[in-house]
Amino acid sequence: MRKNKSMIFWFCLPALLSLLIMFVYPVCRTVIMSFFQVESVTATTADWSFYGLGNYFKIFNSASFMTSMRNMLLIWLVGGVFTLAIAMLMAVIVTSGIRGKKFFRAAIYMPNIISAVALATMWIQYIFNYDFGMLNEIVQFFGGEKVKWLGTDLKFWAMTGSFIFGSVGYYMLIYISGIEGIPQDLYEAATIDGAGKGKQFFSITLPLLKGVIKTSLTFWSINATTFFLWSKMFSPIDTESSTIVPVIYLYDMVFGGKGITTRDAGAGAAVGVVLTLIIIAVYLVTERLFKGSDLEY
Amino acid sequence: MKKINWKKELRLLPGYIVVGVWVLFTAVMLFWILGASLSTSREIYKGEIFQFASGFHWSNYADAWNAQNVSVFFGNSLLYSVISCAGVLAISAPAAYVLSRWQFTGGKALRIGLVVAMSVPVIMVIMPIYSLSVQWGIKGRVLLVILYIMLRVPYTTIYLLDFFSTLSRTYEEAAYLDGCSGPNTFLKIMLPLVQPAIVTVTIFNFMSVWNEFFMALIFTSSETMAPVGVGLLNIINSMKYTGNVGGMFAAVIIVFLPTFLLYIFMSEKIIAGVTGGGVKG
Repeated sequence: MRKNKSMIFWFCLPALLSLLIMFVYPVCRTVIMSFFQVESVTATTADWSFYGLGNYFKIFNSASFMTSMRNMLLIWLVGGVFTLAIAMLMAVIVTSGIRGKKFFRAAIYMPNIISAVALATMWIQYIFNYDFGMLNEIVQFFGGEKVKWLGTDLKFWAMTGSFIFGSVGYYMLIYISGIEGIPQDLYEAATIDGAGKGKQFFSITLPLLKGVIKTSLTFWSINATTFFLWSKMFSPIDTESSTIVPVIYLYDMVFGGKGITTRDAGAGAAVGVVLTLIIIAVYLVTERLFKGSDLEY
Repeated sequence: MKKINWKKELRLLPGYIVVGVWVLFTAVMLFWILGASLSTSREIYKGEIFQFASGFHWSNYADAWNAQNVSVFFGNSLLYSVISCAGVLAISAPAAYVLSRWQFTGGKALRIGLVVAMSVPVIMVIMPIYSLSVQWGIKGRVLLVILYIMLRVPYTTIYLLDFFSTLSRTYEEAAYLDGCSGPNTFLKIMLPLVQPAIVTVTIFNFMSVWNEFFMALIFTSSETMAPVGVGLLNIINSMKYTGNVGGMFAAVIIVFLPTFLLYIFMSEKIIAGVTGGGVKG
């Protein structure tokens, strides 16, 4: 086939420009900005003054940033363990030969495709509602006292719990596609050798899913680090220490939140860089931990 | 009909219970919201939503649609989603095609750049984009559409690229011998061949733009240009003062419905697309 140079150029140009304008230039500028003292996000580079690691010292000395980091870590760890474990359980059940497999798979994935704002609203306004919410109806049915699910004490866990519900489906699909790639004769051989379902899961399924689990860990880390929407929905007007996460902190710093009088775009950029470094670190660690996971079978 | 193997089904019973409870919970939640959206706020607080003692309150929907501006948010989201989907295809399909067909200087770099861009967090790009938009004087609806298009280019290009590479080169050779030009071959022969992939990727782009929240929150300066996500947040915030719970649940249903209906009709295609592309949707 003839190579048409001008066609290649014109066909690639818009995509190349999108990449440069939307990703390459902003990422570089954010990294550079994190080393400068910049008040307004719209300030021209002429108004930037070099600050070294000042922004980084500033955020790590900020109590609310450290709270937000602690919340993020909890979401990543606790939310991650529950989400991935439930997703794996669902994936194993759905592929175990049950009837209505397609229905269950579609129904469990469903929360992932609807507007997350709508989903969060359903949880906040119905499930956790103090007066008529589902959880308090259940609690009362068993003779318990109504619980303030959205009070300061429980709010974080209410947020994490509903976020888990909204996330399980996606990871379940990843695991299902992994499980369906495992040859059936491995299980048949194991059954003949007298291995039970539980042993089969830990000796065949889990080791062969290493690559898929690695992928899901990376995706989960990105999701937990860039956590924003659910926090905003649970504390829509005032940022609260029970639900603050780094992106909310960044948002308030750069674009303004209630009670924050000074803007600091430089510190915001530093938050972005820190979060990106965390994602890269998690990626590298999982790559190393799951080394040689692309098994042939 | 296949005979039911009761022994096998009994062994699977614990599994049925687990997925059954999970799905039941989801269903109860949705039905309750639907019931509440047709009840008065008083009935909701008294826990009498499924009795409909005072009839179905369709007025909640009218109220949400007109008085609470859901029609505006809905129209905005539709506008953003449809234009973005078309725009991103116009940019990504040609690039995906030439990247899959020819080796050329910078081609590999562009490809790697696109893959890396898929996992760049939005927080790393949002601040410079904000200042750039002010500097260039682009704002409002136009800005959001441009941003959504550019945001979806990496994912769409890589997704289509995989499909173009599976096509045989004999099509192009035949077209070339018939005197068909390169761009014409692309438009008239190659593009129709990847139609299934275009449908899948467009569904994902549509849902992604429809549900987008972060950028919409930052770049919509007024209610008149807010998409459904930001609009719903505004409704909830104002509900604290109006106390119109029924209207709020009606708004939730309206926002929830489009992607849900799309899913009902296309769930097989969507589910296959989530893992098929090997990338997040």
